[in-house]
Amino acid sequence: MESLTRVVVTGVGVVTSIGVGREVFWRHLLEGQSGISPVGSFDTSRFQVHLGGEVKAFRPEESVKHLPPESMGRGSHLAIAAARLAIEDAGLKTDDIDPMRVGVSMGTTSGEPKWIEQFDDRELAGKRDDIGEEFLNRYPCHVLAANVASELGFRGVNLVIPTACAAGNYAVAHAFDTIRCGDADVMLAGGSDPFSRITYTGFARLGAIAPERCQPFDKHRRGMIPGEGAAVLVIEPLARARARGARVYAELAGYGLSCDASHMTAPQSDGPVRAMQAALKDAGLAPHQISYISAHGTGTPTNDRVETLAVKQVFGEAASSVPMSSIKSMLGHTMGAASAIEAVACALAVWDDHIPPTINLDEPDPECDLDCVPGKARRATVEAAMNNAYAFGGNNASMIFRKCSDSDT
Amino acid sequence: MSEVVITGVGLVCALGDQSSRVHEALCAGEDGFDPSPIPGAEFEGYRVSAIREFDPRHYLGAKNLRPLDRTGRLVAVAAELALADSGWSVDRRRAQDVGLVLGTAFGSTKTIGEFDRRAMQEGPEYASPLDFANTVISAAAGQGAIWHHLRGVNSTISTGLASGLHAIGYASQLIRSGRATALLAGGAEELSFELLLGYVRAGLSCAPGDVPRPFDRRRSGGILGEGAGFLALEESELARSRNARVIGRVEAFGAGYDSRATMAAANGPNALRAAITRALGSAGPQGVGAVMSSASGHPLLDAREAVAIRDALGDRADLVPVTTIKGNLGETQGAGGALQTMVMLESLRARRLPPVGGLEQPDERFGLDFVTGAPRSIDVTRALVTALAREGNACALVVSVD
Repeated sequence: MESLTRVVVTGVGVVTSIGVGREVFWRHLLEGQSGISPVGSFDTSRFQVHLGGEVKAFRPEESVKHLPPESMGRGSHLAIAAARLAIEDAGLKTDDIDPMRVGVSMGTTSGEPKWIEQFDDRELAGKRDDIGEEFLNRYPCHVLAANVASELGFRGVNLVIPTACAAGNYAVAHAFDTIRCGDADVMLAGGSDPFSRITYTGFARLGAIAPERCQPFDKHRRGMIPGEGAAVLVIEPLARARARGARVYAELAGYGLSCDASHMTAPQSDGPVRAMQAALKDAGLAPHQISYISAHGTGTPTNDRVETLAVKQVFGEAASSVPMSSIKSMLGHTMGAASAIEAVACALAVWDDHIPPTINLDEPDPECDLDCVPGKARRATVEAAMNNAYAFGGNNASMIFRKCSDSDT
Repeated sequence: MSEVVITGVGLVCALGDQSSRVHEALCAGEDGFDPSPIPGAEFEGYRVSAIREFDPRHYLGAKNLRPLDRTGRLVAVAAELALADSGWSVDRRRAQDVGLVLGTAFGSTKTIGEFDRRAMQEGPEYASPLDFANTVISAAAGQGAIWHHLRGVNSTISTGLASGLHAIGYASQLIRSGRATALLAGGAEELSFELLLGYVRAGLSCAPGDVPRPFDRRRSGGILGEGAGFLALEESELARSRNARVIGRVEAFGAGYDSRATMAAANGPNALRAAITRALGSAGPQGVGAVMSSASGHPLLDAREAVAIRDALGDRADLVPVTTIKGNLGETQGAGGALQTMVMLESLRARRLPPVGGLEQPDERFGLDFVTGAPRSIDVTRALVTALAREGNACALVVSVD
């Protein structure tokens, strides 16, 4: 049998509430910085909660150079900024690549909610006549990937996978397959979600938003905190990366997808178990070979408990010795961007041999009794990292990143 | 690499809920256009392609439908029909994971818009938590999985008007690479106040009283529609082992993208042409006997699609009949590619290709053999299905029957 193409991550771009660009992001992540602050993008006075993880002082015009920034929403701005950073980080000379062979695969929860919120504001204000072409043209979520490709001139496979809070992992997984089957030479893959009042309202109504801190795995955790951001990874065949002398952060070793098929919003353990098992099988790894788990870890009472159970079921005895942290403790839940940002964290953990912490974890919940890396980052050899993400609708996705040594070809 | 076979179809649209019936209606020149049921002075005189008296209980039984919005119901119904047609009984689904891949451009704009407007008007505490779950674009795929207990891969694909066809390509790739063995793949889009207002305001509708005229010199826009459709795809060995009836095959898929600037002109770079060429593979256009395009009467998109098909088929361009369903069924957005594929499979089986509704004066510049006026007899086994989105997403699928 013909051996499968090895696929690697050679560039990362992140736009987050704790920093923009790989170096700042990674430093702040390891320092345990929090990006949570009072929500500024809309009025929360009618809510009982007021915190969010917004990206501050972001200037779209610094990244959106060819297209008019006002012709798109913040989701596209964040995505384009992350894509530019990723390309630069990868040292990719876009002039040397056939644009037909570069694709864009993005995940999201809400796409560009601004345009439906504007539609609603006008409708409620009795100004239906002011609703123009922008709703149909700028609102559909696939504009995220389209705008990235239009801005940067890429003409390969282009799609958005809007599988909510697991979307980033789905998008990276699809990029992995697209490279493997030879449909592209380079893929930009990730996720983007702008801060959205619709999302905020929904989680507030579910009683899922923490009033003060996001405390994954803590006994007194009170919920998640909505955030925003974007991350893009440059993904290409290992052979191509070697030929151009690129730095390789990590190899994409395998992934698994599954569906709970039981409840829209209540997490279950069976689906996550099957996704993790499928990812391990795809990567050809045993549980004890995983050095780090990036948890979905939203900080809601149910998620963290169910996720712990699922990891124990898959990892068995190895569960207690695998560090598992949630960077949502710092960034909040950035929705469709979350697992893309966490994918970047996994790739960097594998490359840099550091594990980011779970902050705000003061008193571990006895029901979440794994090694959740409380408070402080840890130095450890990270041979392989597993990125877990779970979404509404029971969409589960696990992706494994593996160390790629200089002798690997 | 595994081979991908089609073992069933399920659809619901303005012209019916059986692919043979929809095909017959198209061949007879029927259309699904009715005055808009959505109230509003803005919509006076506009018609839509809506599913009249859509009754999900007829298909889904007496279970509680409240958690499903219109998109969710369309998905659940089309999935039910596809599962029944392909013999994926509840018992079989217990023993073997079946998944679902949904193509949709918007999800439910009615759910999202009403959720937001209620919260803005009455206060966030009046927004419904139940509705919130349905505001995510992937909600209908999740609801469909819950309804039918589909524990396999569950994914949602958005590429605008190409979403339904892209979802079939994506699902085929998952099966070919061994990541899934059985998937329902297709698309769905509901008709809503929000989408209809958007469609009219974006200038995409043909004039009130007129019809869509795909590929016609006088084409001036489309008619907004709704629908849902799924193909039951599976790995050929699995189909053989369970003695499933094979109605066709997904041979190949190709996708690409053109920038906003490129999409502003009929000629120039064309990612759909490249996508078709990729899907045709080393065999080239030889053996492709018919084309089901996504043309809807849009002045520019129809032209770009025609150019792509003509250039990709090369010398064979004037030998291959080209049609579309959108002259009769309207622009069903995310559902379109799935409905196109099903009608093409039925055309290959019935050896009859339906004509392009509304096409009377073909635009000669396109140099293609459009099916006009009456259905065309065909005797071929392999066909091309294409889809093009306004924002530049393009894809092509090659299907065949034995």
